[in-house]
Amino acid sequence: MPTGLENKSETVAVSSSAYFLKPVKAFFEEVTAITRFAFRFFKELFMPRYELKELIRQSYLLGYKSLPLIAVTGFIMGIVLIIQSRPTLASFGAESWLPAMVSVSIIREMGPAIAALIFAGKVGSGIAAELASMKVTEQIDAMEVSGINPFKYIVVTRIIAATIMLPVLVILSDAISLYGGFLAVNLKGDISLHLYFSQVFQALAFTDIFPAFIKTIFFGFAVGLIGCYYGYNSAHGTEGVGKAANQSFVYGSISIFVLDMMAVQITSFFI
Amino acid sequence: MKKTAGNKIKLGIIVTASIAFFIAAIYSIGQRQQLFSTTFQVSGVFKDISGLQVGNNVRFSGINVGIVQNIQQITDSTVKVDMMVDERARKFMKKNAKAIVGSDGFIGNKIISILPGSPGMPELSNNDIIETTQPVNIDEILLSVKTTSNNLASITGNLSIITQNVSEGKGTIGKLIMDSVLAQNVYQAMINIKQGAGGFKQNMDAAGHNFLLRGYIKKNEKEKDKAKKERK
Repeated sequence: MPTGLENKSETVAVSSSAYFLKPVKAFFEEVTAITRFAFRFFKELFMPRYELKELIRQSYLLGYKSLPLIAVTGFIMGIVLIIQSRPTLASFGAESWLPAMVSVSIIREMGPAIAALIFAGKVGSGIAAELASMKVTEQIDAMEVSGINPFKYIVVTRIIAATIMLPVLVILSDAISLYGGFLAVNLKGDISLHLYFSQVFQALAFTDIFPAFIKTIFFGFAVGLIGCYYGYNSAHGTEGVGKAANQSFVYGSISIFVLDMMAVQITSFFI
Repeated sequence: MKKTAGNKIKLGIIVTASIAFFIAAIYSIGQRQQLFSTTFQVSGVFKDISGLQVGNNVRFSGINVGIVQNIQQITDSTVKVDMMVDERARKFMKKNAKAIVGSDGFIGNKIISILPGSPGMPELSNNDIIETTQPVNIDEILLSVKTTSNNLASITGNLSIITQNVSEGKGTIGKLIMDSVLAQNVYQAMINIKQGAGGFKQNMDAAGHNFLLRGYIKKNEKEKDKAKKERK
């Protein structure tokens, strides 16, 4: 014969499991929705009409406009890496290894990861906020009414622009970081530019350059995709604009780390 | 319209710059790996390559002239290492050149050093197999150092016992150094020996003037003079 106490404990068990399952369920629903959004992107990508002008405009806005921020960050990163590493290497009498150490750190990991995070903060959240405000002001609906495919014009161009421009920015950021490193090495030492870059490339191999380059393409794609997804699917009016920008940055950053970890695993599997 | 054109130019500049940096990096790395220069292949068979890896440098007279292209275990105790060497270095590498696995500094990467052969020998050909020299293994050095230090420990232990015995006046040397009575006796004995030697000399001089021995002594002196003259 069931008692009232049993019913109460059952209710508590059900509510606690629901409490833990709800965010898990929401996470997988979100992943499914983003995947469907990505499939739609690939479907629209290969179908005419191609918005080349808008793609160039977006490339300029996402890439060129982000260059100063990424360049300054890269420059500082190069200087800081050298200054922080010098005492440790000096204790081994290995200060001449500074260029080699900074090149491997920057090209393999620091350059792509830092530039991608800044890109997620500036561009990813910017895309999400822009698209969300377009949604709030019904500009996207207006496009549909006027016969323009808003997904193709707004989403596809931005994702492609982000995918193309992040590798470009990372290469420039790496070059600037290495130059910053050269200046930092010369703060307490004396090394010519030729010798510095000779030692930098001496330490690098194709297995450092190509995986780093390829993963930045995926970082760019992830930032563009997540920014567009949260912007395009925002709700709750003007409040949703801020939320979309915030979610875009948070999930964009997480996806960068996850992709980075996967890239490292795949690279170490082949090398 | 003008603004759009300007933006396109700015975008073009950064894209071109990044492509230029990327190509420059690839070219620099490729040049180091001898991808853009004419090369020839030589191989060496080693017993132990001490952690040498594909891509490690090959040096000749301290200059990087190539890289390790392939490493292959051919028997249970031999490893074949293929090296890709710059064609420009071939004229200095003779048939009897030797390869040795070394290290780039104390904590550096492994390298292969090629030692030049004899000047009169012909140049190396493509796919030649060159002689190798087994490098001195760090473990062997450490083992030798360990044996030496064990011996040293044993020697210093013995020395310690000896010095202790000496300081306690034990044994002949200990008594000689530490026993003052013995020292006095030895001193007295030395004086007696000196006096005895003086007396003995006097006796021998007196015997030299004796008519019984004078002939024998003169004969000895003549033989000595004769031997001297013959030597001259």
